[in-house]
Amino acid sequence: MDVKYMLKTETKKKSDDQRSRGIEHKLNKESGHKLSWNLRCVLCLVPSLLGSIIFFFWPYIRVLYYSVIDDQFNKNLVGLSNYIETLSNSYFQLAMQNSLLLIVIGVPALVILAIVLSLLLTFQLNKLPRLRDAFILPMLIPTASIVLIWQQLFGGFTSAIPIYLLFVWKNIGICIILLTAALTTIDQSVFEAAKIDGAKALLIHRKITVPILTPTIFFTVLLAIVNSFKIFKESYLYYGNKYPPNHSYTLQYYMNNNFLKFDYQALASSSILTSLLVLLMVGVGLKIQRRFQS
Amino acid sequence: MRIGDYNKFVSLIIRVIIFVIAVIFLVPVFLTILESFYYGGNFSFHGYQQLFLNCFPFYGLFWNSVIYTVIITTGTLIICVPAAFAFKFAHFRGKNLLYVIYIIIMMMPLQVMILPNYIGLRDMGFLYTRLAIIVPMIFTPFGVVVTHQYMREIDYSVIESARLETNSVLRVIIHCIIPQIKVCIAAVALFVYADTWNMVEQPMLYVDDDKLRTLSTFITQADNYSLEVMLPASVLYLVPVFLCYLLFHEELKQGLKL
Repeated sequence: MDVKYMLKTETKKKSDDQRSRGIEHKLNKESGHKLSWNLRCVLCLVPSLLGSIIFFFWPYIRVLYYSVIDDQFNKNLVGLSNYIETLSNSYFQLAMQNSLLLIVIGVPALVILAIVLSLLLTFQLNKLPRLRDAFILPMLIPTASIVLIWQQLFGGFTSAIPIYLLFVWKNIGICIILLTAALTTIDQSVFEAAKIDGAKALLIHRKITVPILTPTIFFTVLLAIVNSFKIFKESYLYYGNKYPPNHSYTLQYYMNNNFLKFDYQALASSSILTSLLVLLMVGVGLKIQRRFQS
Repeated sequence: MRIGDYNKFVSLIIRVIIFVIAVIFLVPVFLTILESFYYGGNFSFHGYQQLFLNCFPFYGLFWNSVIYTVIITTGTLIICVPAAFAFKFAHFRGKNLLYVIYIIIMMMPLQVMILPNYIGLRDMGFLYTRLAIIVPMIFTPFGVVVTHQYMREIDYSVIESARLETNSVLRVIIHCIIPQIKVCIAAVALFVYADTWNMVEQPMLYVDDDKLRTLSTFITQADNYSLEVMLPASVLYLVPVFLCYLLFHEELKQGLKL
């Protein structure tokens, strides 16, 4: 979620490093511990790391292996044929097409609405502090609990609009938290100076607010894209166990079907392909962001 | 003079617009609550009566949801605070690379991680038990990354002065770090809690016994039960998250320093 800060903090960490090594020697001599302080700090990471290795890292590598063998028993290497099969599977294509459509249509709609709302909210925040909560609450509300009402409200639609609305409804909260946080850090004196110079409200927004907000907006877009892949669940809940219409067929159905068939090869290759797609999106996003900043 | 020092008329219009949009966003929640008290054209508790008296699976599933969320939220906090501490204050080779991997895993949609998790669970022999739902959720990197981001602002000198008092890492974390990141811990707890309370895929795929599943799977099987029972169940499903939100919403907004 916060890749951009990671890069920033690196330089600060280095100075911390040098300082700590200076006192390290002295303090360790005074205490009776056999292990050095630093080693004991590293040990704090062990539980988390162990769990991550058992449930995420190592199985992921095995999934990579599963995606290039023919089946569980023969274990012959077959190169990329599983990938080619998955990519040419019409259901996988449909799921990917729907995911990309959500990124192209749903994400911009979400971010634009979030920007407008956070601008309006920030200017009125001292008068209406509680209203922001109305947008943040949906983020935490279990989708399963409002899905029945959603079906009643939007049951008549024959397009993917209910899912798009659900996407906006669920994700606007985090976008507004991020954007209003950035907006409230802008120095008020900048606006005052602009006002004294006689700038109109719209000009102030175009020349000051938008440029200052740009990095945060970029980050919000990135987060929205990452979250758009997580909408599989919402779509699945909305249509229940029934087969969904084509426009809302998501990867969740494809995965579930292959899970029932125990088709590990199809599952493995589609998992890897999806993770590559997410990585690609985030990588390109970060690259564009860095170019923007420099 | 503030940013939005427009004239009063514009200000009023903006307020009305925000108010209307806010109401629209809350409509699904209100409607769910309203309709659960609605039976045969009148206000009644019929649905709740049906649910409490005739729908026994509900109790077990609700209890399961509570158990899973409590254990997972506590477990995540116990694992993630020391891990974030290590990422901030320990020095070892490959720390930054490892952190990047944590972030990448955090960004992956659940669909990518379902098969790896399944394989991990099968190897450990946890499959089809309660542990299958609990253990992988405890180790999700979300808590570690968010807590670490919040710890960025803690200076090393704080640790130095704490070490003059004690040489135990655990005591430094408990007495020196945790009081400074209370807000963040509350935010992480709320997020993990909501996430666990929401989970659908894990109980569907990792266990095969309905008795081990959660309330969310009850609601996905809406076809097996009547609608008059489902809506009260939805409301009861929603209430715990809502209450927690009311208690912790300030921490939520301040604790996420993304």
